[in-house]
Amino acid sequence: MEEKEKKKHRAKHSGPKAEKKRKRYLSDLGLGDEENARKRNPKAFTVHSAVRMARTFHRTQDLKTKKHHIPVVDRTPLEPPPVVVVVVGPPKVGKSTVIKCLIKNFTRQKLVEIRGPVTIVSGKKRRLTIIECGCDINTMIDLAKVADLVLMLIDASFGFEMETFEFLNICQVHGFPKIMGVLTHLDTFKNNKQLKKTKKRLKHRFWTEVYPGAKLFYLSGMVHGEYQKQEIHNLGRFISVMKFRPLTWQTSHPYVLVDRMEELTNPEDVRINPKCDRKISLYGYLRGAHLKNKSQIHMPGVGDFAVSDVSFLPDPCALPEQQKKRSLNEKEKLVYAPLSGVGGIVYDKDAVYIDLGGSHAFQEELRPNHELVQSLISTHSAIDVKMASSKVSLFMDSRPLGSEDVRQEFVMPKEEKQVDLKTGRVRRRAVFEEEEKEDDDAVSDEEDDEEEEAAMSEDGSDGDDEDDAEEESDTELLEEEMAVERAKRLKPEAINEEVVNELPAFADSDDDLEMSSEGEGQTAPEESEIEEDEEEEEEERTYKNESSDSEFEAASKREAKSKQNEVNTEDTEMRSQILDHSLKRKAGLTTDSGNCTEEEVSESEVANSSLSEGDPEEGSGGELEVEKSDGKGFRHTPAKKADSIRQTKLKAVEAAADDDVENLLREEEEYEEKIDFSADTIGALKWKEDLTQKAAQAFLRQQRSTPNLRKLVYGTAVEDDDHESEDAADELGGLFRVSRPDKASKEKANALDCSKFLIEKPQDWDLEEVMSSIRDCFVTGKWEDDKDAAKLLEEDEELYGDFEDLETGVVHKGKHAAEGDESGSEEEEEDGKMSKPEPEEEEKKKERMDKKQKLKERFDAEYDEGDATYFDDLKEEMHKQAQLNRAEFEDQDDETRVQYEGFRPGMYVRIEIENVPCEFVLNFDPHYPVILGGLGNSEGNVGYVQLRLKKHRWYKKILKTRDPLILSLGWRRFQTIPMFYIEDHNGRHRLLKYTPQHMHCGATFWGPITPQGTGFLAVQSVSGTTPDFRIAATGVVLDLDKSITIVKKLKLTGFPFKIYKNTSFIKGMFNSQLEVAKFEGAAIRSVSGIRGQIKKALRAPAGAFRATFEDKLLMSDIVFVRTWYPVSIPTFYNPVTSLLKPAGEKDSWSGMKTTGQLRHERGIKLKQNKDSLYKPIVREKRHFNKLHIPKALQKALPFKNKPKNLAKKGKTPKDQWRPAVIREPHEKKISALLSALSTVNNYKIRKAKVKHREQLKEYLKVKQKEDEQKFRRQKEAKKKIYRILGQREKKRQKSSLKGSSKGEKSV
Amino acid sequence: DFEASFIRLIDKVTNGSRIEINQTGTTLYYQPGLLYGGSLEHDCSPSRGIGYYLESLLCLAPFMKHPLKIVLRGVTNDQVDPSVDVLKATALPLLKKFGIDGESLEIKINRRGMPPKGGGEVLFACPVRKVLQPIQFTDPGKIKRIRGTAYSVRVSPQMANRMVESARSILNKFLPDIYIYTDHMKGVRSGKSPGFGMCLTAETINGTILSAELASNPQGQGAAVLPEELGQNCAKLLLEEIYRGGCVDSTNQSLALLLMTLGQRDVSKVLLGPLSPYTIEFLRHLRSFFQIMFKIETKTPEEEHMGGEKVLMTCVGVGFSNLSKTIR
Repeated sequence: MEEKEKKKHRAKHSGPKAEKKRKRYLSDLGLGDEENARKRNPKAFTVHSAVRMARTFHRTQDLKTKKHHIPVVDRTPLEPPPVVVVVVGPPKVGKSTVIKCLIKNFTRQKLVEIRGPVTIVSGKKRRLTIIECGCDINTMIDLAKVADLVLMLIDASFGFEMETFEFLNICQVHGFPKIMGVLTHLDTFKNNKQLKKTKKRLKHRFWTEVYPGAKLFYLSGMVHGEYQKQEIHNLGRFISVMKFRPLTWQTSHPYVLVDRMEELTNPEDVRINPKCDRKISLYGYLRGAHLKNKSQIHMPGVGDFAVSDVSFLPDPCALPEQQKKRSLNEKEKLVYAPLSGVGGIVYDKDAVYIDLGGSHAFQEELRPNHELVQSLISTHSAIDVKMASSKVSLFMDSRPLGSEDVRQEFVMPKEEKQVDLKTGRVRRRAVFEEEEKEDDDAVSDEEDDEEEEAAMSEDGSDGDDEDDAEEESDTELLEEEMAVERAKRLKPEAINEEVVNELPAFADSDDDLEMSSEGEGQTAPEESEIEEDEEEEEEERTYKNESSDSEFEAASKREAKSKQNEVNTEDTEMRSQILDHSLKRKAGLTTDSGNCTEEEVSESEVANSSLSEGDPEEGSGGELEVEKSDGKGFRHTPAKKADSIRQTKLKAVEAAADDDVENLLREEEEYEEKIDFSADTIGALKWKEDLTQKAAQAFLRQQRSTPNLRKLVYGTAVEDDDHESEDAADELGGLFRVSRPDKASKEKANALDCSKFLIEKPQDWDLEEVMSSIRDCFVTGKWEDDKDAAKLLEEDEELYGDFEDLETGVVHKGKHAAEGDESGSEEEEEDGKMSKPEPEEEEKKKERMDKKQKLKERFDAEYDEGDATYFDDLKEEMHKQAQLNRAEFEDQDDETRVQYEGFRPGMYVRIEIENVPCEFVLNFDPHYPVILGGLGNSEGNVGYVQLRLKKHRWYKKILKTRDPLILSLGWRRFQTIPMFYIEDHNGRHRLLKYTPQHMHCGATFWGPITPQGTGFLAVQSVSGTTPDFRIAATGVVLDLDKSITIVKKLKLTGFPFKIYKNTSFIKGMFNSQLEVAKFEGAAIRSVSGIRGQIKKALRAPAGAFRATFEDKLLMSDIVFVRTWYPVSIPTFYNPVTSLLKPAGEKDSWSGMKTTGQLRHERGIKLKQNKDSLYKPIVREKRHFNKLHIPKALQKALPFKNKPKNLAKKGKTPKDQWRPAVIREPHEKKISALLSALSTVNNYKIRKAKVKHREQLKEYLKVKQKEDEQKFRRQKEAKKKIYRILGQREKKRQKSSLKGSSKGEKSV
Repeated sequence: DFEASFIRLIDKVTNGSRIEINQTGTTLYYQPGLLYGGSLEHDCSPSRGIGYYLESLLCLAPFMKHPLKIVLRGVTNDQVDPSVDVLKATALPLLKKFGIDGESLEIKINRRGMPPKGGGEVLFACPVRKVLQPIQFTDPGKIKRIRGTAYSVRVSPQMANRMVESARSILNKFLPDIYIYTDHMKGVRSGKSPGFGMCLTAETINGTILSAELASNPQGQGAAVLPEELGQNCAKLLLEEIYRGGCVDSTNQSLALLLMTLGQRDVSKVLLGPLSPYTIEFLRHLRSFFQIMFKIETKTPEEEHMGGEKVLMTCVGVGFSNLSKTIR
């Protein structure tokens, strides 16, 4: 058998097994594991270079501090406003789908169409406002300014698009909100590898734009037109846990992302002039900073406005109240999107709307259109009606919209309820149709109950009406036609009524005073109700209606009411307090009753019915309202139920008498009722104003007992401008008696306008008592127990016995002692409660322990802070301030708080604005965001703004000075004309014609003042779409001023007309002596570079002057002086009013055109200056004159430098020219022979010369040798001679020495 | 007269403001410009003291474009306006509390001038700030020392000493740490009219400074005043001021409130003595200009012998920032 070859063993090189083996091997070698390299090889980790180590340390420290942000005071309120999530991306990338999915994820509701912001509760502590951002650059700019979080959708199948980058750049300029990328359309990739690659590529590009590691989400595929549930869920989780860094601009300015708009214009005005300025109210969450009433705001796309009124409303999308639960239940998952037609309950200033539709999905498509049309076209009679006191209105999504009621319902929702009653059928039908199932039982039951209680037949009749309505509902079309007709009829009537009644409203108050005297009982209860809830306010209004009844009726009713109210024990106290007030309030109240009577007289239709007949009708109307509201009340809170029942009972009694009459008249008077109500509401408004004021006064009055400085300073709390005069005139309350003398003194002081506080009657400081009154203000006086040094010392000694106290500062001691005392006392109390029987010693022990503990803590705190950095200190300080900010006004109720600090962010506010251009209302499109940006104190002004600007590197063209440019700066978008400049070294701002290519330059424009450091961006136009990058430039505001110092260079030229040596007379530069005088001493220059100075004006040609130069000029020279001419900046500031454009064209705003565009459009060619055309350069040859040296100078020169005129021999004159020689052939032969001979001769001579030279060389050599020998010989001979001579000399010296010594001796 | 001078001063420190006064002088149209600052000089009308001008400059100076350095000439001390000495002693420490600090913050009295002719000269310099700090200044603390200046110009130098003696006689009952400088100006530095007066300041351990001052009647008006009497009265005024108490003395209440208002959007608190009518009027102006309302609480000192009632003023700043300051 053949053995199969066995597989050879192969050692593993990778995998866990190999790893294990390697480790074992290494450990056998004693090398251990890698982590322990430090231990294994300590030498490698020693310090090699101290310098290098210091550097690395510095570096790490730098990196660490770089991570710090400058600490800012955390001013976010306790209940922050919803986070603004902006979903942005190029078209068709799936923005709306993402929003829908997110909403569905958070709220389990399905919105079919998204228009405007949608607010949802996303968690226990967070709400989101999600808004979609279109590709219009206006929208992008506006939303980037308010965004907290940006969801940037990117079509992965296509890659990045311009919009994405544009939006990123906009974000960068206006403070960088959090940005999260979302990749969609990932299901288009079939190839997995390619998908991965794309993802990676996009991710890295995204990172370079945002920051490395920025979150990028992947939404893979669609399932039934939605993204996958799990992915959306994750996305939602990410959004709801995200943290935000406060952005400077956003935290320093209040702003509102408007989620609802309503028009409040008087319909009469609109009728007279459909283009008149409108008054609107806008709703939304306040964000950023505190908003003050009457402050200035900017609405991007519309303009600047002053807020005429602000009020806060209950939160329509409130966070759940208790926090203990783990997750939200379904009820708390609210969604609020009025522009999309969603939102459970709508609260207004004085009305509540409940959306009862369970059938959103099915009606949604219809609704928006109606609403829109509604708010636009709407309603002439509407506004006053709206202002009317109406109450709870039930609104059904579905029905009302189609019908005539809709008109009123939407624009003036307050009135809705009344409308229901009057034009009952339509309304009711809606109720039944929609809510048959859910609400029928509830409502009708309630109603029934009430009916029973009241023992009335009235509601039965109502029921009939309702039935009728139901029947009618089937024929919808028909009815709508009718509605239109009705509306038409209604209009003129309503208008008439208003005209008639507006004046009487004021005038009638006098005669009504009589009435009011009877009605004290009534008014008092009303007062009491003010303090109660809104529901009760509604009831008040019914009172009002009743008060309009004829007097005899009113009297009886009031009796009843007062009786009723007396039952309420709670109210009685209030009433007593307010009674003194009632006079005023009555006046206010009765005005509307006056109205009503007036109306009724004027009504033609009611003419047949008597006054009394008309009135009961109204009364019943009011009653019905109440019933409705009651119905709601039942549904809502049982607590309110009781009240409302009481009220209805009351009313029922009253209404009983009028009932039959009412039934008779009912059908006829539908219209009239409407009119009545509209008229009523006019009165109601006034009444209401009074009401708030009065209420406030009453409230204050209660507090009168405590002397209230605030009143003294600010007058009656809620300020009315005229309050002072008014109060002074008719009120003599304790307060004002006090304040009046004060005013007098104030005036006295005013005359001098001096801040000194003069003392009227100084106290006698010689008296002992008086002196003692301030005794303790001095350090020598008595200290508080806890700070008294003596006492402290005592205590310390008690405590510590022998311990030496090293702390010497008094304050130190004070503090610790104070703490000790407090704690001690607390302890004692506690102890007292807990364990009385315990022996005192233990108590003391405990006390001591406690004190020690405290001391230790303090010690720790002190010494731990020792190494705290400056940064930490700063942070701590900021934190403290933040806490103080929060705590300061916490205990106050919202009303007063608003007065102190303004409306705080997080509140849902309603802002009224007047004088809004009608186009805003007419062309309102909820798809475009409306933002109210609050302006700082002087940001409403205009002035010159200096910027640092850089052309965007992706923008194709360069920008030209004096071309209009659209800037987005602060909240604003506006067109202006910037001038570019660059700063020279001496600080001069020199005008530039164009922006530099890759460099910053300065720019100045005339426009709105915006704080320094604010970023801006510029675009050339906001209309249309170009494939190119649209952002032209970005930069920052540097300076604001009222004047500017940009200059451009101006060269004045002149020509010499007389030249002396260095002095020349120049003309043509100036026109008069005066001009010259201004420039005396100015430096001038010739084109050839000779510098000079202007000396003095000449008389002869005007404007000529004498000037000196450093050299002599030529007549051909041009002389110029450099001057700087200040440039004026065009005062052109044109806000971009894109929101005023009609619906489809909002992205087509175009402002001033550039000259280039105009030329292009009109085909105007620029006429060029011929001089500036390019032509071939022709250079003439230059001739230089000879250097001429004067003779005197020549003589003085040394010969070397003397001009040598040898070269200049001059031409020989013609007569001296030698004639040319022409030879004969014979002579030619001779000369040829001669030349040949001479050549031979020359050769011989040259040869001989060479020979001779060689011989000479030989000879010289020989001679040199001989010379050398001779020289040597001579040298030797000389040597000999010198030696002999030397020896001889020596001998002589010797002998002479001897001789001399002898001689000396002899001498 | 002095108002015209004031308007001229305002015109000097601003850029681009428009001022129109109608012919009868009954209406004034003023369009505010931009606070510019810089080195300036101004001759104040001698009908009001320099304090009148200086007070408003104190409010404006921190918000200029360039640091203000202005020489004001006129009456340094008179009976109506807070004198320059008092402002120097009280307003400057107050400004420092708000973060307006630095060595360039100073008031220097070069010459004294008494009414009616004046002839004084004051140098006021103030640095520029972008934002102000909020303050929490609710504990005045106890008074640890009293300082003061007794000045005399064109009268016997003995006057000052006499004033000091009499003032000390009263104040010594409360506190031993009293030092009152005598300041006798001679020659050019003494202005054009004779007069004398004194101002006293009381400083607490927490840095609060309260002040009082008195000046003699101007030459040729009213009876002559004895320096002893003046010294005593001045000391009593100081005691009165101490009785009122607070963390800011009555002259500077409005300044403190203004700077609180113009702070960042944070809560500021300050404890004041009873509000002066001027301050009350000022508060009303603040409300109409800034929509700022102060929370006003009266505090009665818990203990005896601590003077009169105090007022705790609380407000949230408007978030003002100096728009004219250039950034580089």
